[in-house]
Amino acid sequence: MLTGGKSFVSSPPAFSNDAKRLLVCTGNTVSVFSTSTGLQTCELEGHEAQVTSVIVVPATNPASKFLCYCWTASLDGKIMYWDFAAPELMKTIDIRFPIHSMVIPSLLHQRIDSTGKLPDLYAYICTEDAKQEGKPSSFGIQKCNLTKSRLVGGVTLAETQKPGHVTISPSGRYIGTCEKRKLRIWEIPAKDSEHVSYKKIRLHHTRSITTMAFHPNERVVAAGDVTGRILLWRGVGREAFSNTKSSNGRLNKDGEDRPGVRDGDDADSCTTWHWHSSQVNVLFFSSDGAYLYSGGREGVLVVWQLDTGKKKFLPRIGSPLLYFINSPDPTLSSISCADNQIQLLRMPSMEILRSISGIKLPSSHMDMYEGFGSVVVFNPTAGLIAVPAENYRVQFYSLFDDREISQVQICERNHQPGDEITVKVNLVALSRDGSTMCTVETRLPEEGIGGLVTLKFWACGSQKKQISLSTVIYEPHRDAEISCIAFRPTGNMAVSSSYGGDFKVWVRRHELTPKDETVQRSGWTCHAVGSYKKKPMSTAAFSSDGSVLAVAADKVITLWDPDRNTLLAVIGDSLEPITNLTFVGKSEYLVSASASASRGSKDSNPQLTVWSMSKLSATWSYRLDTKAITCSMGDSTFAVLACCKPKGSAEESLQCAEEMILLFNVEKAAPLSVWFVSKAQGGGLSFVSSDEDKVSATKAADEVLAYINGAREYVLLNPHCEQETKLNISRQRGFANLDETDTHGYASVYGALPEFSLKTDQTPFPSMSSGKTWKDIFSGPPHTLGPLRNLCSDFLESLLERRSGVVE
Amino acid sequence: MAEAFPVKPKLRPTSSKLTPTPEAKYWRSFKIPKDIETTPSKSFTFPINSIAFSPVAPHDFVATHSASVSIFSGKTLEPKPTISSFSDTAAAVSFRCDGKLLAAGDLTGTVHVFDAKSRSHLRRLKGHAAAVRSVSYPRAADKLHLFSGGDDSVVKYWDVTTEKCVFNLLGHKDYVRCGDTSPISDEMFVSGSYDHRVRVWDVRVSNASSVMELNHEKPVESVLYLPSGGLIATAGGNFVKIWDVIGGGKLLYSMESHIKTVTALCMGKVARGSGEEAEENRILSVALDGYMKVFDYAKLKITHSMRFPEPLLSVGFSPDCSTRVIGTSKGNLYIGRRKAKVETEEVGGGLQWKIVEDDPGRKVLRPSYFRYFQRGQNLKPSEGDYLIKRRKKVKMAEFDKLLKKFRHREALVAALNRRNPESVVAVMEELVARKKLMKCVSNLDTEELGLLLAFLQKYSTMPRYAGLLTRLANKVVELRAEDIKSSDQLRIYVRNLKRDVEEEIRTQQSLLEIQGIISPMLRIAARR
Repeated sequence: MLTGGKSFVSSPPAFSNDAKRLLVCTGNTVSVFSTSTGLQTCELEGHEAQVTSVIVVPATNPASKFLCYCWTASLDGKIMYWDFAAPELMKTIDIRFPIHSMVIPSLLHQRIDSTGKLPDLYAYICTEDAKQEGKPSSFGIQKCNLTKSRLVGGVTLAETQKPGHVTISPSGRYIGTCEKRKLRIWEIPAKDSEHVSYKKIRLHHTRSITTMAFHPNERVVAAGDVTGRILLWRGVGREAFSNTKSSNGRLNKDGEDRPGVRDGDDADSCTTWHWHSSQVNVLFFSSDGAYLYSGGREGVLVVWQLDTGKKKFLPRIGSPLLYFINSPDPTLSSISCADNQIQLLRMPSMEILRSISGIKLPSSHMDMYEGFGSVVVFNPTAGLIAVPAENYRVQFYSLFDDREISQVQICERNHQPGDEITVKVNLVALSRDGSTMCTVETRLPEEGIGGLVTLKFWACGSQKKQISLSTVIYEPHRDAEISCIAFRPTGNMAVSSSYGGDFKVWVRRHELTPKDETVQRSGWTCHAVGSYKKKPMSTAAFSSDGSVLAVAADKVITLWDPDRNTLLAVIGDSLEPITNLTFVGKSEYLVSASASASRGSKDSNPQLTVWSMSKLSATWSYRLDTKAITCSMGDSTFAVLACCKPKGSAEESLQCAEEMILLFNVEKAAPLSVWFVSKAQGGGLSFVSSDEDKVSATKAADEVLAYINGAREYVLLNPHCEQETKLNISRQRGFANLDETDTHGYASVYGALPEFSLKTDQTPFPSMSSGKTWKDIFSGPPHTLGPLRNLCSDFLESLLERRSGVVE
Repeated sequence: MAEAFPVKPKLRPTSSKLTPTPEAKYWRSFKIPKDIETTPSKSFTFPINSIAFSPVAPHDFVATHSASVSIFSGKTLEPKPTISSFSDTAAAVSFRCDGKLLAAGDLTGTVHVFDAKSRSHLRRLKGHAAAVRSVSYPRAADKLHLFSGGDDSVVKYWDVTTEKCVFNLLGHKDYVRCGDTSPISDEMFVSGSYDHRVRVWDVRVSNASSVMELNHEKPVESVLYLPSGGLIATAGGNFVKIWDVIGGGKLLYSMESHIKTVTALCMGKVARGSGEEAEENRILSVALDGYMKVFDYAKLKITHSMRFPEPLLSVGFSPDCSTRVIGTSKGNLYIGRRKAKVETEEVGGGLQWKIVEDDPGRKVLRPSYFRYFQRGQNLKPSEGDYLIKRRKKVKMAEFDKLLKKFRHREALVAALNRRNPESVVAVMEELVARKKLMKCVSNLDTEELGLLLAFLQKYSTMPRYAGLLTRLANKVVELRAEDIKSSDQLRIYVRNLKRDVEEEIRTQQSLLEIQGIISPMLRIAARR
């Protein structure tokens, strides 16, 4: 069993102390990526549920910069302590409540007290209380003693209905969370112990607050709301958090110079900035506190100058932003985008250095329209899947390597993240040998005007990376939607069926270009059109030898000769429209699945039927709601992804429809094996040959079953030995090693200096490597450079040639 | 990071015919010059049997028609006075190698020799018993002799100065209708006859029988020595055959793309750029089907074909590749001339150029000259240079810029002002994708609405745009009914639109009727 296709953006990532590694929460594991190459270097495996927080133990002094320790928290109720360089699990704390968020303030201002021993380490975690019968679960912020591995009893800072993200100030003095229309902020005492009292304040707003951020050294709090406004409170908690100047605060409160502050909140002033058109997701203060980064649904990173409110933009990131974090290296930071990509930025200039991309996640808008189903397409021979993404691209993703191969722009249109989707790539088909791709994009009409369906054929190069557009066909079935595209396994023919009641057979024709006779131009042209009683054609399939074309016309299956376009036979009469057709391998059987057209209807009669082609009659059938069918290329087995609702009324109340994968042999109606799965809506299923080299001779033994669920997480199963849970596929996870040799300073510009053999200088200098080159120090506009005092020493240091040892 | 895509119109199907090959472009560039009178005035009402070009510049050419021979200036294409001292129809004409004399045969069997300049009648060669259909001066250097072939099936070799026949070359059994002299040897001659045979004669070796005999299998209408002297092209029936003479008369290729009898052949050249090497030889053939075909005998392929409205009888191509003349059976002369880019230099031209180059007065560039600032801009990179490409500036149309700023209405108006229907429709489709088209329409002011209505009136019935625009026109009229009523100008637009739509409906109805008539017939035809 092999899993993959995890989300990289479920939780904020974290940089290591030397900024060379990025720790990303990927499902049950934490993946460590190299920031210089963008490749995965190792993985921390140990949690049994989704990891929700990862916190790198910061370096307190320059010597500990290379320490690689981190804390992780997960929904399985465990907090773990890792050495991620090794990688090695060092400590596990089980608190038995799902943890949604964790912060450890004392890491940021850890001080060795007078006795010389470390004080206890406390974490603040947002946990979910044990579910009680009939009550929705409640969430609270609790305190956990990490040193003694236990929850501190009786300390619950806040209770909410929704899991909140706990935000910590960069100094570690304050933690806060946003709850509906207010912010709650607590001050963490400098000496944290189990029983301390917390000073807390609340800040109110009129709209739901989505995110918040603390200023690194002043008492400034920023918050973003659902309408795109950014609120900036200054002088927060002057009254509550400062012990001495209480009289001053009173004066202020009495006076009227507190602009924008709502009903007695503890702040001096509140300003509002409004640039974002929709929800603000990202707020982050720069480390010197001069700038505020904000981002939202538009996919634009905005940099606000805090004092003046002036803005700078990084546009066209292409997807809603989710998190922004900066690294200990001030020239590097990262943005997590909603399309499962993490962009690494070079900082003052805000260029995208490289991006770490995972499998494209389904868009929340995608299932809004009927017929806009976005199904993942498998290329069984190469172990690839093609995933349509929101920005009119198709991503090719390798199942075995668990990484992106390439992306193809299907429709040349600018994508504005967050807009209502009106143009979408809604069908992708790959030919069996992977040489041709076919896509369908649909533009929705506006008030009945201007709808357009476009069918495109693409030629794939040998390298799987060069994909070029071959043929464009506008409105192939007038204005009717295309329901299915199938390629003939023997090549050079495809069929497209439409709900408009006809199907078209397309063939590839070659012609010579007039200018250069050696270059062949191939295009796809319509070979034949067929229809059966004007019934909507819902799906089509070719038999494995390509001699028979089966097209489902509403409730019957029509069989055609694709070359001569003659109707051979009509079989079947199911109760519901047929949604899926597959010929089983090289056998004489055809599997059809029918489902209710309207999902909500009670009396649906879904059916899974196996037809014998020699007798033209049904062999056996099930009453099964089938989502996907796939057949093995070699033998006569096939697998279905089914959803079966239990009959009993008691079980129905639980609303747990069982979703499962069933493996059948066509000869027998009893399933060979069954796997239970979840989130099957919008999922896909396919047999994939595990060995890429044996494309021609695919034996049944090297085929594995690939299942991808609606959240684009996939699993590879071995269908033939169910006892053996481990799949004997050697996963070639190319964990790249971290070693990179960078030249710094002088050497990076002018090359290495010639070595001088000076005898006089014998004393070795203790040198400390600084990550900055002088180029980095001065890149960017002058106002971002920082104080001259700091710059000077940095500059001089970078100019000095660093010695690795004593010059003999 | 996403790049910015401009709004593009839909692709249109392209056919290979729309992109002409360089060769087709070349042959089409022979156009009737505007400064001379048009073709009908070149009409002689009688068939033009033969055309010949003078081998020396400026390459005057002659055409025979009825009992006269017309000479045209090769420079201006103006007709010079005709020679009409024939007692019967002139059938064949040929220039001497220096272009000074002109020989023409007529149907009485006489070969006449004229001075090409003064048109004075110099010699009469009498000897053929029937019409002379073929006259050829040797092409290389011989100025004294002449070949002729006649309907008496005899080929004669004449000494022109003495008006005497040197040899009677016998062997053909039917009319000799064509002949050509070898381009490399003065003594070689090829003749074609209606007895299907093509004979190669050599007056040095034997004067009685032919050196070689080729069977064309159809009455031979035209023969042509190709410039190498080793290949012969023969035309007869509806095909042209290429023979290898040196290789013992082997048939190399038979070009069968004409539909009717091929009447004449001539050598053509494709000049690519300048220089001798850039020229490629082609065979031009004309036929009674009205087609002129250009045949590349190196690749054995037809490279161009051109249709004329009348049966073609004769063809000529000037040696300097500037003029192509085709004569038809109805007496029309199609003169095509290519626009020469550089006028051919005079003989002394090379010398003058040299002087210019040696001119020492070329000054050193100083910053006071404008050219100083342009120096080095045309410098080509040498082999080992590392080329740094300047980033291409992305040109964006005005509507693209406005769309980028989400100023939708202004973008639509900007597109409408550009008067390019494709881009207007592309902008409309983009607005549909943004769900903003209806809003744009409702926000247009009266003037802009007029612009839109004028556009709709013009293009909404065009099939390519009709799918979108007819529905849009409906919506616009619905949405802006009040504004349209209040403005006279808009009412005019709508009236025109209505008229156009009604006309289109009528057209559609008549098309439907035709379809109704045709479809049963097609059914019946398919059943058989």
